[in-house]
Amino acid sequence: MMDKYSLLQKIGIYTSIALFITFMLLPFVEMFIASLRPLTHLFSRPEVPVGETMSFVDFMSRFWSDKMSFQAYRDMWVTVPQLPRYIFNSVFLATSVTFISLCFVIPAAYAYARFSFKGKSVSLTLFLAVNMFTGAVLLIPLYKLLRMYGLLNTYWAMIIPGVAFLIPQGIWLLKTFLEKIPYELEEAAFVDGASRLYTLRRVILPLAVPGLIVVGIAIFIGAYAQQFLFAITFNQNRDYMPLPAGIFEFIGYQTVLWNEMMAASLVGVLPVLFIFLFMQKHLIAGLTSGAVKE
Amino acid sequence: MATVKLENIYKSFGETEVLFDINLEINDKEFVVFVGPSGCGKTTLLRIISGLEEVTSGSVVIDDKDVSNAPPVERGISMVFQSYALYPHLSVFENIAFPLRVAKVSEKELEEKVFKAADILQLRDRLDFKPGQLSGGQRQRVAIGRSIVRDPKVFLFDEPLSNLDAALRGDMRVELAKLHQNLKTTMIYVTHDQIEAMTMADKIVVLHDGVIEQVGSPMDLYHNPKTKFVAGFIGHPNMNFLKTSDTDIKQKKLSANIGDFTLDLAVDVSDIKAGDEVDIGIRPEDLVVSSNKGGAPMTVDVVEHIGATVILYGTVLGNSDFCAVLPSDSVVKPGDTVNLTLDPFKCHAFDSSGQALLKS
Repeated sequence: MMDKYSLLQKIGIYTSIALFITFMLLPFVEMFIASLRPLTHLFSRPEVPVGETMSFVDFMSRFWSDKMSFQAYRDMWVTVPQLPRYIFNSVFLATSVTFISLCFVIPAAYAYARFSFKGKSVSLTLFLAVNMFTGAVLLIPLYKLLRMYGLLNTYWAMIIPGVAFLIPQGIWLLKTFLEKIPYELEEAAFVDGASRLYTLRRVILPLAVPGLIVVGIAIFIGAYAQQFLFAITFNQNRDYMPLPAGIFEFIGYQTVLWNEMMAASLVGVLPVLFIFLFMQKHLIAGLTSGAVKE
Repeated sequence: MATVKLENIYKSFGETEVLFDINLEINDKEFVVFVGPSGCGKTTLLRIISGLEEVTSGSVVIDDKDVSNAPPVERGISMVFQSYALYPHLSVFENIAFPLRVAKVSEKELEEKVFKAADILQLRDRLDFKPGQLSGGQRQRVAIGRSIVRDPKVFLFDEPLSNLDAALRGDMRVELAKLHQNLKTTMIYVTHDQIEAMTMADKIVVLHDGVIEQVGSPMDLYHNPKTKFVAGFIGHPNMNFLKTSDTDIKQKKLSANIGDFTLDLAVDVSDIKAGDEVDIGIRPEDLVVSSNKGGAPMTVDVVEHIGATVILYGTVLGNSDFCAVLPSDSVVKPGDTVNLTLDPFKCHAFDSSGQALLKS
């Protein structure tokens, strides 16, 4: 392949990427450093007398010092004994929301991708419009609804609104994936006598796996991020709390255990990170190669 | 045993009408080719026979049974798609077995049938491969395998060779002709390539703008085209058309003047009168270079040597796109002028509406 970019362009591109990544990752670095510091040192910084410059060692001690340790990662389980439960709840809620959403998203996206029916574009636009409301706007009506059905303070209180808010996004994403699967494959199956559902199961879904994973991940992230709002509004039961809500327990009457809170947050992200690393393997391109001649 | 009858078929997509009053009978074991330029409706007609497309009006009759509203699988047809439409995630074996799995055929019978189809198509050692690992020709064979495994009464092919390179296309043409001889079933084949039509068909159906222009055997269409369109479409290189400057009728013969050149043609003149404008059609391969004067002079612009023949392009009697095919030993250079003559009996004549004047 020809080298498309000149050296200068390359430098520009990589500098931009580096800047962008730094910007994205800096909060995590800060979290990590904060989690390593003893609480008493968290707000201290070397004092520099007027007229003198800071020594390099002093400067570096802002990032690293001998007193740093992984103590917070041990203490946090003691401070908040429910922590494993919160982490489990977070993953459980996000996973349930993802699977339940997919059950709705797959048939809906297939219908939108393949059939033409009245109100198709109107309903698709409506779905987008739903995405424009944040959950916060609808909290009160949702609260009333959930109370009516007696679902407050259950897992369902966090799963059902989560599913509802993530379906539109899922439909839009999966629809574009399904549209890329050649229509002839379905016609061929139809000529061979296969029913719609048989074709969906044996032809379409196996080919849509990369798309399903992307949609699944997008829904999972969405579910993970939004559960905080639903958890603090619709749930009072500590046993059902997800991590973002559970982390509040590090805020005491006297002190806030920032270092332990940061440590818990990082540990809470780990399961998600593992899921991503595992899923990424499946995001291979070219699964449809050889289907039809392009 | 399978005959196909199309009766008064009309088809429109919304406001756009694509097929008008199609009537056609296809005999058992016949290899029929629908040919025509793109947009003529040939693929739509095939899809109507397959059941993938519904007729607007008219009926499709297969084996004396009206199947106009039946789904494809009940029509006893199978179809090979232009794009192959193989299932990329399934092996060659599973691709070929797909229709049998749908029909819930027993595992033993299924294996037997797939192996038989694979043997016919020389795919036995490719059964574990995925379509992505196959060459274009092999993929095409898998697509054919999937269609023969169900023992259909009628095979439908939608431009199956158009994605292959020229050499492979030639091979596959022969293979398809052999397959037809082996299977002895009715086959309907759609193509825009008149060479495929000429070489494989028992019967060619020429479609143009949604109507059937002519139905006949390849040589019948070549020698006796009923319209100017068919004459121009069948045969390669294309037929030359010369507009007459004046016509006369002498002793029931058409006397056509092109510039200061006159051709006397033995055609039916009952429907035309002196002075009518007529198009004269001349096949490039019917032309002969003559050494004595009397023929029409051709100023040669381009000379193509293709081995067996030499093709000349140039200007004759003011017509700049004239083409002549000469034997390979002809020595002609661009810029030369050659004298062309022909047997007037081999000329075709078309009236102003494009209908052929029958030879008398």
